[in-house]
Amino acid sequence: MRIRALALLGIIAGVCLVLLTLQMRGRAGLASEALAVVTTPVQTVLARINRATLGVWGTYRDWKNVRADNRRLRDEAQRLRVEALRVTETDAENQRLRRLLALKESLPLETMAGEIIAREWGGWVRSLTVNRGRGDSVVRLTAVIAPEGLVGRIIDVRAGSSIVQVLTDPASNVGAHVVRSRTPGIVEGEPRGTLRFKYMARDGGGLRVGDMVVTSGLGGLFPGGIPIGRIRTIDDRGAALFSYAQVTPAVDFARIDEVLLLMGGAVRDVAASFKGDG
Amino acid sequence: MRTFLAIAVLGGGVAHATVGSALRIADVAPDIPLIVVVLLALRRGPEFGCGAGFVAGLLQDAATGGLLGVQALTKAVVGFAIGMIGGRLRVSQPLVQIPGLVLLSVLEGLARFGLLQLFHFPAPFGELMTYVVLPQALYNGFLGAALVLALAWAETVKGRTP
Repeated sequence: MRIRALALLGIIAGVCLVLLTLQMRGRAGLASEALAVVTTPVQTVLARINRATLGVWGTYRDWKNVRADNRRLRDEAQRLRVEALRVTETDAENQRLRRLLALKESLPLETMAGEIIAREWGGWVRSLTVNRGRGDSVVRLTAVIAPEGLVGRIIDVRAGSSIVQVLTDPASNVGAHVVRSRTPGIVEGEPRGTLRFKYMARDGGGLRVGDMVVTSGLGGLFPGGIPIGRIRTIDDRGAALFSYAQVTPAVDFARIDEVLLLMGGAVRDVAASFKGDG
Repeated sequence: MRTFLAIAVLGGGVAHATVGSALRIADVAPDIPLIVVVLLALRRGPEFGCGAGFVAGLLQDAATGGLLGVQALTKAVVGFAIGMIGGRLRVSQPLVQIPGLVLLSVLEGLARFGLLQLFHFPAPFGELMTYVVLPQALYNGFLGAALVLALAWAETVKGRTP
């Protein structure tokens, strides 16, 4: 068995060496052609099968690539949407801060900007938490304003933050007057989150819907002329001592993000700093 | 069985040039005929291995347009040698199969290079080993082991079928 195998190997080696030698002498054309008769048709068939298989494979890969592209593009679109939202948000913040800065510069008072970091919006208490506290020399009853108007007052000062009682808080009341008629009164918060202007009936004859109500400056807590809101409805109670008017706040307390704290200086009328509100 | 063997040997030799490119990874293609020859020699002995190596190598030479007889001779020698010593090797373990096939591929490459030197083959030895023989040997090792495992699995399944 082994001898037969060795003999076969010897014969094969001999044939190969002869073939190689013939080729080197340029005489192996016949052998090559004879083999090509066998190999060429097989190769043709295999090439076709291969091409078909690769075609199917290529289609599958294309499909997978399309799916991957689709996923990638969806992610990209999502990312760009988020980016666009972020840009819009930044733009809005930019505008808000510009308005706040403009107000800060126009006010004849010392102010400090603060950021709203929390909101309490239950019916019992309506307050905002601002990121300025004892460390920033904030004191109790500091007036808090926004470019649109009055926000409220500081009622609690902590180490790094303060609580702002918003105008709509049921315990809030501010001395005010109507700009057009100079009707004096008090703006009070209501549990349902609205504002009302309480005034002496004898003074209220001239009130109109849309009139601007501003701080009166009386009492020394708030400077005069800070917009509070506009008269929405008038509740004329006839012979009663007091009459009431519903006021739409100038500031949207639910959306406010930055405020100014009025830190000091002589209390005076600041109406000129609030443009177009009267 | 004979048909299968004929397809394996002839197909392996010719398919290498046609289908082998589809298995290319980083410009390295496996030597399918060599793997087929090794597998056949392990199962059928030196005589068959030698003959299969010759036929597969010759067809490979013809199909690839190389010098007729180079791969025919080297693969015949490989088939013979594996057929001779195969019985003493524990080839059922992938840890033997992979390095074994890598080593065989390298030896076959060396033999081919040595043979071609007789005919003034110009390629430098170092580059040939680095970029052709060794990468292909590694590929052969892993592909061959996978084929062995696939064949073993197929035989197990066949054995279970009533």
